Amino acid sequence: MDIQHTESRDNRPNRRGFLALAAAAGVGTALGGLPAFTASAAPLRPTDSPLLSAADAAKNQLWWQAPGSSNSMIEQGLPVGNGRLGALASNDPSSELLMITDATLWTGGLNDTLQSDGQFPYGRSDFGSLTLLAKLTVDIPDHDLSSVSNYRRSLDLAQGLVSASYVISGVTYRRQVFASLPDDAIVLYFDQQGSGTYTGTVSLAGTHGESTTASSAGRYASFGASFANGLKYGAAVTAYSSSGKVAVSGTSISFSGCKDLTVVVSGGTNYAPDAAAKFRDPSVDPERLARTKVLNAAGHSASTLLHTHVADFRPVFEQLDIDLGTSSATQRELDTWERVQARYRDNVPDPELEAAYLQFGRYLMISGSRGSLPMGLQGPWLDGNDPDWMGDYHTDINIQMNYWMADRAGLSDCFDAFTDYCLAQLPAWTDVTQRLFNDSTNRYRNSSGKIAGWTVAISTNPYGGGGWWWHPAGNAWLCQSLFEHYEYTQDRAYLNKVYPLLKGAVEFWEARLITTTVTDASGASREVLIADSDWSPEQGPLDAKGITYAQELVWNLFGNYRTATEVLGKDAGYTKTIDGLRERLYLPVVSPTTGWLEEWMSPDNLGETTHRHLSPLIGLFPGDRIRPDDSTPKDILDGATALLTARGMNSYGWANAWRSLCWARLKNAEKAYQLVVNNLKPSVGGSNGSAANLFDIMDMGQGRGIFQIEANFGTPAAIIEMLVYSRPGHVELLPALPAAWAASGSVSGVGVRGGFVADISWKNGKVTSAKLTSVGGRSTTVLAGSASAKVSLQPGQSVTLRNLG
Amino acid sequence: MRSPSYPALPGAPAGSVRRTIRALLVLAVTAGLAAVVPAAGAAAPAKASTTTTTAADATSGIAATPYMGWSSWSMQSSSYPGLNPNGNYSYLTEANVLKQTDALASKLKQYGYDYVNIDAGWWMDNNWKPGYDQYGRQTPDPVRFPNGMKSVADHIHSKGLKAGIYLPVGLEKGAYGDGKVPIWNAPGCTTADIVYSDLRTTNGWDSSYKLDFSNPCAQKYIDSQAQMFADWGYDFLKLDGVGPGSFKSGDNYNNVADVAAWHTAIAATGRPIHLELSWSLDINHAADWKQYSNGWRIETDVECYCNTLVTWENSVNDRWNDAPAWSNKAGPGGWNDLDAIDVGNGAMDGLTKAERQSYMTLWAINKSPLFTGDDLTQLDSYGVSLLTNKEVIAVDQNTSPVARPVTPVGDQQVWGTKNSDGSYTVALFNLGDSPASVTANWAAFGFTGNASVRDLWNKANLGTYKNKITEVLPAHGSRLFTINPGGKTLATTSYEAEAAGNTLTGNASVAGCDACSGGKKVGNLYSGSTLRFNDVTVKKDGIYTVKVAYVSGDPRSVTVYSNSGNGTSLKFPSTGDWSTAETVSVQLALKAGSNTITFDSGSNGYAPDIDKIDVPQSV
Repeated sequence: MDIQHTESRDNRPNRRGFLALAAAAGVGTALGGLPAFTASAAPLRPTDSPLLSAADAAKNQLWWQAPGSSNSMIEQGLPVGNGRLGALASNDPSSELLMITDATLWTGGLNDTLQSDGQFPYGRSDFGSLTLLAKLTVDIPDHDLSSVSNYRRSLDLAQGLVSASYVISGVTYRRQVFASLPDDAIVLYFDQQGSGTYTGTVSLAGTHGESTTASSAGRYASFGASFANGLKYGAAVTAYSSSGKVAVSGTSISFSGCKDLTVVVSGGTNYAPDAAAKFRDPSVDPERLARTKVLNAAGHSASTLLHTHVADFRPVFEQLDIDLGTSSATQRELDTWERVQARYRDNVPDPELEAAYLQFGRYLMISGSRGSLPMGLQGPWLDGNDPDWMGDYHTDINIQMNYWMADRAGLSDCFDAFTDYCLAQLPAWTDVTQRLFNDSTNRYRNSSGKIAGWTVAISTNPYGGGGWWWHPAGNAWLCQSLFEHYEYTQDRAYLNKVYPLLKGAVEFWEARLITTTVTDASGASREVLIADSDWSPEQGPLDAKGITYAQELVWNLFGNYRTATEVLGKDAGYTKTIDGLRERLYLPVVSPTTGWLEEWMSPDNLGETTHRHLSPLIGLFPGDRIRPDDSTPKDILDGATALLTARGMNSYGWANAWRSLCWARLKNAEKAYQLVVNNLKPSVGGSNGSAANLFDIMDMGQGRGIFQIEANFGTPAAIIEMLVYSRPGHVELLPALPAAWAASGSVSGVGVRGGFVADISWKNGKVTSAKLTSVGGRSTTVLAGSASAKVSLQPGQSVTLRNLG
Repeated sequence: MRSPSYPALPGAPAGSVRRTIRALLVLAVTAGLAAVVPAAGAAAPAKASTTTTTAADATSGIAATPYMGWSSWSMQSSSYPGLNPNGNYSYLTEANVLKQTDALASKLKQYGYDYVNIDAGWWMDNNWKPGYDQYGRQTPDPVRFPNGMKSVADHIHSKGLKAGIYLPVGLEKGAYGDGKVPIWNAPGCTTADIVYSDLRTTNGWDSSYKLDFSNPCAQKYIDSQAQMFADWGYDFLKLDGVGPGSFKSGDNYNNVADVAAWHTAIAATGRPIHLELSWSLDINHAADWKQYSNGWRIETDVECYCNTLVTWENSVNDRWNDAPAWSNKAGPGGWNDLDAIDVGNGAMDGLTKAERQSYMTLWAINKSPLFTGDDLTQLDSYGVSLLTNKEVIAVDQNTSPVARPVTPVGDQQVWGTKNSDGSYTVALFNLGDSPASVTANWAAFGFTGNASVRDLWNKANLGTYKNKITEVLPAHGSRLFTINPGGKTLATTSYEAEAAGNTLTGNASVAGCDACSGGKKVGNLYSGSTLRFNDVTVKKDGIYTVKVAYVSGDPRSVTVYSNSGNGTSLKFPSTGDWSTAETVSVQLALKAGSNTITFDSGSNGYAPDIDKIDVPQSV
């Protein structure tokens, strides 16, 4: 293995390269994000076009040959988003429809009156629900779908741009839809080549019975209202053209004879991520602010707005590039939906499609997780006001899976929404836990009678509220994700920021652990610490002590806490106490009955063999206590493998993604790959798989499929995990490269735990070149095949390794 | 007409009647399935007749091409506000017929629409009580037709149009008159002589006594009715409730003799009268219908018996499934009748624009008669554009064979036929509830390379397309093209299903098949049986359009896959019987070198019999 050090400071990691590019483009707010919906400084506008050439853009474009149906927007609408506002676009020539969601438009509240069973109410008025903000339609009656030819619709992942084009009577009409973070608005731009014009109506409607009003003087339409929980919200739209007539007509905006048309829509709420302020910013008037935003944006041409948006979006996207191999000419001829169908029909690998699936996940994260609330079950993409499970944050797998991808896939900054959420909720979580967790009706209360720190319910909302049942180990899992972000970034300031979350969770478990005596296989008995009564998500006995899920998470939490105190130089005495507890923690054994790693402290299988959750394997992934190397006893590794095998290969999308990640950790490339492929199965009639727009669909039975976003993030995380495995001090390249991608490929911008970014290339299954760049890491060991190398770098330095293995 | 023509029935909600009929259908289908002998060598085909009587009609002008015009039934059957103010079916009056005649003459006649057809009820009062003359023949209701039927026909003729009238098959019970009613121009014959002594009933509603043609008096009765219509000047007769068909089977409902008698009687009048049969005629008697009539309704009514004329789900969209079985049965002199084409007024029709266009497209490519049941005085401009598109009408009227699906039939379908000038008529359909793109691969039609495309509905030349055309279709939408190949014939390699190197599993077996290449096919593909072609070789990796020749007397699904693929599982349209081979094309990935292609019935399925596959020699 050759090692070539690069000292140049120009060779900084992609993330920082992005910062430089964004700064050059003059977008000062790119990473700082918008704290909720608030007035923002006028964006600085790029002077040069940041647009990719058509050829360069083609690499990261999905495309279709049919618009979405207004009845099937979740499967067929194309998503755009600026990190807070999300929208699904139908791209129907005669009736463009945008279903717009604001990530903060939640009903419900703190929800701190427990039910008689000591658990949380879980309804749309008490716990609350994410809901739609508005529907925007642009009707162009003459452009009936039956009369168009050459219809094409694309999603440009690199530039954050939805486009549609079609021909009527020799005129090519084209529209673009994008959600701009700098302008905090969604823009629709219609133009044409030839002598065509647009005539029709722009309508903005709320989805909760609001009345839209329009101002002919102001050339806008808007609405505003508030929920029973006091949350105020509003939205506004304006339209303009270089020709023809645009005028307010009733409550709509009509246009006629326009060679081009620009429509700008924005909206938001007065939500504030501040428990002390009861999560409201009373100074915000959302309707007025929305009007201001759209009118400010309307002072610029559509081209300027697009350039401003792309200058912001593209550098974020370009932090990771991936090539899994070349697809065939006949595969390339197919549109995205045909390709998904052909992939399943023929069972022939389509490496470009598989890479595009990863990039689509990254696109969703950039669009859905910047500067506002994090993404829950659907991110900011709804098609109604009754999303399943409220579109909430599930803390027993959902929000964690959503963010597994962020650091791995070059989107570290998108993780901030998750961090900011936890920090903002912490005061309320702490208050509710300390007041209510030990309520005598709560079957999960601490039998010790002690209470400290914080935990959460299975579902959480943005108002500090929990829903459904208490979830004692949820705090530890959230902390696992939070700490892992530190491992990727080595950002000490960040660690200091989240330290109260870690410490509060540790304190909770210090108060909760109970003592019991177990007999080892050798017959020796010993006293151990176990978790009090709990439910292994979401199956088996409701009151089981020492469930593997909790034991593993607490073991992980206590270990991370020690590292945090060392890094930050804090609480040295307390961490010794916690270390002592960690040494006494019970860790799961293999059942002599089933041969599986036990999920409960029982040799019996007390649940469903193929259950969707992999809770007892949390030490395999996302944890890495269980590893396919000498550090893990063989029986534990075998037991974990047997349990994973028993869980099967066909589940819901998110459950397949988790399985794939586990198989990648076990270096079983083909199983990991097959699970990725299973998630690419076309969803038909609500079946599990990918919808036409690549949203992951979960089969609810009776032909009803619903969108659950985690698989769109968890599957890309698995693809990365197949290419790079890392933990602090240890990086393995191509640990689980499947045959389908082995011929040749490359990936750049992959996050590495320990504070690095990796760029690797391979041929015939072997790494040909690997570059490691420190974003804060100092040393690690790189393994590729049978080769290994110790690498020491200063932050900002790179090293390139060749002739590996 | 399928519904309640008789006093016991009007008043019953139309919906409940439809449900009853549906329930009967389900029972019939279930019973039929139980009796199905799967596949190979099964079910003898209906014997093709050598008689070409109605083809001779065609040379004399009757049904040389599918007839076009207007019919009263759609509006009679609807509860659309204002259509039937004096009770069910009361739309049918002289005033309304003359009004529609005038509208037809002024708006549609120039496009070929020339029949004005009076449907059921012309001899019924508004309580649906029939009237008969002294010879047991239907006589016009004086309220509906105060000037009698001849005066109506005269008016129709005065506009240069043709007049049509209607009868149910058999001797209507009300005409029996205790068996004592004399038959016109048949001394010694009374109604007792023309039916069976046990008064067995017949037709789709059991509303008539079955005629006994072993007694010559029965023919005389038909002669008397035919002569009456000839005397009145009618040019068209719809004979309704005919079996086997009309949801009936068994000897009592076999009306082949009735139809033959009508054919004879019409000839004897010396007046050319088009004879159209209704409804859901039994395809196993297609040769009989072809011998004695000029058209046959292949399925149930298109009308919904609701507050519009039709709806998409009931039963317009069923026709995509119904029609393929009949594709080989139609020709000059006798046509497959898909029922009324109610596309003229969106609000009254109860259809979206896209549905109306698809409706007209399917009827045209099937060469169905084109008779609208719309209110011609209230056509909307879109309806006029559909009914008067000359290029689309030409598809219906030209000499090309009836189109068939060229792909297995899911929500997205491609149909086509080859025209006499070497071009192809190609229709794309999206029967799904969302917009979808549909692709026609030239390879499915046997050619490759560039072809020019004419869009018939949009009246536009779309230019040149290489190897395929993909267009977006709205929900329930369609496109209709004329494709002119400019490239080459596609070179393919054939692989016979019966070849020794193939692997057959389960019940699959080789059987003789006169219509198949090599005289053999593989059948009995049911209950988990498979046919695998083992050595399909191509030179390059790619996705190929593989043409499958098959035999299937009913629409059947089969999963087709290459190598380790999951394949697609879609219905192959009926070939009409178990001795006719047709083709559909499927897309499959093949790799350079040797491949397998497998047909799998699925564990509970019944698959078509497979004759052979044709694999293109290049991608």
